[in-house]
Amino acid sequence: MNNTLLSITIALLFGIGTFLILRKDLIKVVIGLSILSHAVNLLIVSTGLFNGEKVPIITGEHIEPSSGTIFTDDLANSILAPIVPESAEMIYVDPLVQALVLTAIVISLATTAFILILIYRIYEEYGTTDISKLRRLWG
Amino acid sequence: MQSRKDMDPFNAIILAIFFPFVAALFVPFIEKGIKHRIGWFSAAIALISFILIGQVTHTVAEGHAIKQSITWLPSAGIEFGIYADGLSMMIGFIASGIGFIIMGYSNSYMSHKEDLPRYYKYLLLFMGSMIGMVFSSNLIQLFIFWELTSITSFMLIGYWRNKPASIYGATKSLLITVGGGLFMLAGFILLHSITGTFDIPTILQNPEIVQNLKVHPLFLITLILIVIGASAKSAQGPFYIWLPNAMEAPTPVSAFLHSATMVKAGIYLIARMHPIFSGTDAWFILVGGIGIFTMLLAGFLAFRQTDIKAILAYSTISQLAYMMTMYGYTSYHEPGIGVAAATFHLLNHAIFKACLFLVAGIVAHETATRDIRKLGGLRKEMPITFIIASIAALAMAGVPPLNGFLSKEMFYETSLEMGHILGGPFEVLIPAIAVMGGVFTFAYSIKLIDGIFLGKRQDHHLPQHVHEAPLTMLIPAAFLAVLVIFIGISPSTAVYYIIKPATAGILLEEVHLHVALWHGFTTSLMMTIATFLIGIAVYTKYDNIAAWQNRTNERIPWFSMNYVYDKIVDGAKSRAGDFAGCFQPGTIKTYINAMLLLFVILGTIPALMVAATLIPDNLNFNVPAYEVLILGLMIIAAIASAVLKKYLHAIIALSAVGYLVSLVFIYLKAPDLAMTQILVETLTTIIFLLVIVRVPQIFREKISRTTMAKDLVIASAVSLTVLILLLNATHEIVYPLESLSYYFVEKSLPLAGGHNIVNVIIVDFRGYDTLGEISVLCLAALGTYNLISSRGDKQ
Repeated sequence: MNNTLLSITIALLFGIGTFLILRKDLIKVVIGLSILSHAVNLLIVSTGLFNGEKVPIITGEHIEPSSGTIFTDDLANSILAPIVPESAEMIYVDPLVQALVLTAIVISLATTAFILILIYRIYEEYGTTDISKLRRLWG
Repeated sequence: MQSRKDMDPFNAIILAIFFPFVAALFVPFIEKGIKHRIGWFSAAIALISFILIGQVTHTVAEGHAIKQSITWLPSAGIEFGIYADGLSMMIGFIASGIGFIIMGYSNSYMSHKEDLPRYYKYLLLFMGSMIGMVFSSNLIQLFIFWELTSITSFMLIGYWRNKPASIYGATKSLLITVGGGLFMLAGFILLHSITGTFDIPTILQNPEIVQNLKVHPLFLITLILIVIGASAKSAQGPFYIWLPNAMEAPTPVSAFLHSATMVKAGIYLIARMHPIFSGTDAWFILVGGIGIFTMLLAGFLAFRQTDIKAILAYSTISQLAYMMTMYGYTSYHEPGIGVAAATFHLLNHAIFKACLFLVAGIVAHETATRDIRKLGGLRKEMPITFIIASIAALAMAGVPPLNGFLSKEMFYETSLEMGHILGGPFEVLIPAIAVMGGVFTFAYSIKLIDGIFLGKRQDHHLPQHVHEAPLTMLIPAAFLAVLVIFIGISPSTAVYYIIKPATAGILLEEVHLHVALWHGFTTSLMMTIATFLIGIAVYTKYDNIAAWQNRTNERIPWFSMNYVYDKIVDGAKSRAGDFAGCFQPGTIKTYINAMLLLFVILGTIPALMVAATLIPDNLNFNVPAYEVLILGLMIIAAIASAVLKKYLHAIIALSAVGYLVSLVFIYLKAPDLAMTQILVETLTTIIFLLVIVRVPQIFREKISRTTMAKDLVIASAVSLTVLILLLNATHEIVYPLESLSYYFVEKSLPLAGGHNIVNVIIVDFRGYDTLGEISVLCLAALGTYNLISSRGDKQ
């Protein structure tokens, strides 16, 4: 499935985030970082849509364990992952990207909180949130 | 056979190497207890090492080399091995024996106010490295110990850290010796690629390996690399310049490292490599050539030195060059004609030169000057020092019946022999060069005695009363002077136990060596007499020559290696400064711009390579209306967060973006993400609000029109790159391999018993990722806590 509108939205979010991290005001920079991390998360999740239709929660029906799945670590052909023959149809959207993004969301909370406290402390020490004024950090 | 009392030689050597290292580790703690007596402790360690090395004397004197190893890095074919033959034993004796004397002497020389633990720690480390190096049986191990001696030497030269001259000297020695060591390492690796082994005895004891090596196309380059390493370490050829500056070290250090032991490492390497490379023209031209060149140059340059330690430094360089020259004397049929002489001179030089340095230390200690122009006439005030200095200096000059005479005679003999082998003009030239070297040595040796002890006392430069040094300083020097005489008069003991095994170790065959004071009226004796006569004649012109050298140096300052070195180092420093200034301007925006530019380039190139067009033709705008609405609102909210001036408004807009993202997650079929996103967004907004309450909005950025235009261009470029990547990623790029996700989908229920595949991945399949995530949260919390609590310290 190809969703051009979503792609455009993600690209615009990237642009806005980039514009914000180029600002001198630290608070604006953090807002930019947040928008960038939203954009990245959306990007990763949207790539998981291509294969299946359903939410990756198994409801009732039983999945045949490893029906026709070949596992290989064929370095010579630069294949490091299990190969699934095309017949094995995927009915769910990709759960792995969701798991990755779930981790990313939580970590971005941690980093955002840390940066914000850092800005608070910078403001206390220097009396400003202007990056260009923080020359003492430059050594 | 070894006697019953002796230790197993292998264990003895291992202990002799590691004892100093372990002791160095404990020096700072022991110093707390025994204070300045730490010097005696260190001296005792050196004595123990000396005795331990003594355990191998019998075995080695009977011609058995000790070879044993412990597996160290089997995958790289590297063992920790001991190879003890006469040569390594001799230098081991010198390192530990002189080490003992120096550390004893240091007790009086070093003021108790100095940082003694640091001093003795590095002396012990150096001694251990030096012993380790000479007993190494493989080349990599030898290299490691070799560089350790360079590093400890650096630390000791720079011992007085606040003197710029010390720092300059230390840096210079480090750059040159370690740089040379890298050349040597390259040589060793080539040697390994030719012979297939790093093991020294394996190469030595297989004549066919050596034969193959000598005809190998890489032979010459290997030899050159190794000779560069040895020359840099032993201050030979153009690399001599570091040794005079190394004299900034405390005098005992100069006596120990920079005359008796460390500078002999290069000579040791030459001797060790002798059976592998000698017997070729390349060896004679490289080793002998560098030796002859350095011998004349350093002997000559010694004239203009005024610091007595600088004179000694130049004399050390020229004496080391004697050894290089003698090891370099070689021919196909007689590869090692100078080996015995060189080895003997190595021992003799270590003794008389260490003694001279100790005397220099005594003189500087008592008169507070080392300038030979200010010294003079001290023989009455310091009679014992005068006698000791005279013995050592005359030994260096080659006056009978002192030890220097014997090896100098052998030097002349082998020079005659080498000249004879080469034939033609060399028959005269080589002996003449040898005599010339002897003349310079004679002249500066006499200058030392004359300048310090004889002549008129310079009352206005010297203290009123100059005393004899304390016994702890005199006894070590006197002991060395006695050794000088003893070896001179009765060389047979030293020859039997040390020189003969060492020579045999280098030549790998039985040697018959007869050294005696009187050989009859031989040509070499005539050469010695000629040396003395010309030497006296040159000495009368000593000051004129020095003045001429000074004038020449002023006229053409660029004609010196020091000038070249300083230019290179200063140039490198300023280039590095320019480079850093260019790549680290210090404004964050420059870094971000550079990264974004790279992203744009790296992002578009693959799209251009895979897809012919940047925008594919299967664009799909067929989406439900609610989706258009959500996405449109998200863009509006994001733009609002960018343009709204007040923090509060911007943050509310930002949280709107976050909640809309969670809605998008829902129709992207990711309910877990939507839930998490809502929770996290709420928390983030609360933290934002808490912070902006404390951080009032004083600063308002005024964006100039050009900045705005520039930033908009950058943002648009990034935006476009992402769009191109996304459109092409969903269109053209076909997975070369299938996703790992199928595995999780299939195994979620049977293996983990979970219906929610995302949850199973997080807590089960990829549990370690989640552990990492939790760690990040903990670290952020700890960091936040510390940032907040560090605030209290200031106020």
